[in-house]
Amino acid sequence: MATQLDEADLQAEFDALARRAGIEIPPERRAALLEGFRDLRKMTALLHHPRPATSEFAASFDVRSITRQIP
Amino acid sequence: MSAALHELSIAEAGALLRKGEVSSRQLTEHALARIAAIDPAINAFITVTPERALADADAADADFRAGVDRGPMQGVPYALKDIFDTAGIRTTCHSKLRENNIPEEDSVVAARFRASGGALLGKLSTHEFALGGPSFDLPFPPARNPWNPDHIPGGSSSGSGAAVAAGIVRMAMGSDTGGSIRGPASYCGTVGLKPTYGLVSRRGVFPLAYSLDHCGPLAWSVEDAAIAMDIIAGHDPLDPASADVPKPDFRGSLTRGVKGLRVGVVRHFHEGLAGLSPEVSGAIEDAARQLSSLGAEVEDARLPDYELFNACGRVIMFAEAFAIHEKDFQTRPRDFGLFTWLRMTLGAFVTGSDIIQAHRLRRELALAVNKTLSTYDVLLTAGALAPAPRFDAAPPGMPANAPLLNSPANVTGNPAMSIPIGFSSDGLPLGMQIYGRYFDEPMVLRVGAALEKAIDSRGRRPALAG
Repeated sequence: MATQLDEADLQAEFDALARRAGIEIPPERRAALLEGFRDLRKMTALLHHPRPATSEFAASFDVRSITRQIP
Repeated sequence: MSAALHELSIAEAGALLRKGEVSSRQLTEHALARIAAIDPAINAFITVTPERALADADAADADFRAGVDRGPMQGVPYALKDIFDTAGIRTTCHSKLRENNIPEEDSVVAARFRASGGALLGKLSTHEFALGGPSFDLPFPPARNPWNPDHIPGGSSSGSGAAVAAGIVRMAMGSDTGGSIRGPASYCGTVGLKPTYGLVSRRGVFPLAYSLDHCGPLAWSVEDAAIAMDIIAGHDPLDPASADVPKPDFRGSLTRGVKGLRVGVVRHFHEGLAGLSPEVSGAIEDAARQLSSLGAEVEDARLPDYELFNACGRVIMFAEAFAIHEKDFQTRPRDFGLFTWLRMTLGAFVTGSDIIQAHRLRRELALAVNKTLSTYDVLLTAGALAPAPRFDAAPPGMPANAPLLNSPANVTGNPAMSIPIGFSSDGLPLGMQIYGRYFDEPMVLRVGAALEKAIDSRGRRPALAG
């Protein structure tokens, strides 16, 4: 998902993901949703930068609130 | 109709109520009259609850007569965004899917306001499920901006911003997943506070995205917002995100000023962005100069690129929102408004790897923001890049590139408040955000109160507010 796709591959991925999710896309909405998918792909590309394996997420933003350790 | 009653701050109204110089019934009837006169032009309310409001008012007046004091909201009218459950009062989420939903129990926030003795005027317009709008294909019309009804009020707490700006209520509750309190606050010229994640219970509030959702007040003044926070903050063991922390003294620091405080201005978020209004950037610089002249140490500050916050927040929001509505998307997609459908369907396209990487980035961003906030008491950033657009010029589909810079505080969970900082040349409000450290709302409110006093924008109301 990190790489940018050409238009044909982008549309193939769009159709495959919609089918997998059980979403029927009416023809008159396809162009607008595809435009949103393009934006989404640009955003997901930003997320896939290399990180060390030890870079773990914290379930939320601050482990102190999850463990309720703030005095 | 008295012209003065709706200009009383919550504290001023409380003082008069306690001296017996005004009754809650007077305040509430005045607010109901304003709804009848003004709301047809702005559609702030989905449901008006006059019987409940007057019953609340009479109960408050009876309590005053009996010497029972439930705190600063007693007898004061308020309203709730229509995603907060209210027992026996429909809660629609502005959607056909929940048009006739009548909850059996109050949300925690609604219960706290009920216990505080406030008078509930009704339920306020939103974007559908706090995401899809402003839309004309829903069961209720979109709220309009009181400063100019041809312009949007922002969303998704649209009715909350419109009702406060129009002088119907001093305070209305909103929710904020990617800026839905601060956006309408900026466009409508109100204060809007998104508290620290976990400080206010979300139980009984229809979720948009669990890990990004916050509840908070939109209010006419910083003090009004502080009073609301005092009502709603508190640990709720049945909200899995709720933090068990002592409740801060929200009002105690409002008059302490900013002398000696360190303020970072995050200019790189907005400088050079397409769609940035020079009036907004100029007003931010004016506000920074005001704080400097009041004795704060104001410097340029840097955070990670805004695009990272936006990508992280949007991907998580779309994925969580789609997970909540997945079954309805598969079985009755046409019951959603078009904008909701277009935005929420994107969540179906987020992969497992995408969401894990978003959460890994989220932690890095939170650490970076809070490292910067170890140097500064607060950070200033732009919120809306320009005044509220006209309905026919509002971005129609995707929120990804919407001209709002509110996502970072949802991603990191820090408190952030939008505060009015002036007006555009065509009379629309301008706003700016103040970011604070976790659970340091008192500092955010303190800086906001100093700016509010210095800028002195609270004496100006929309023309239709009379």
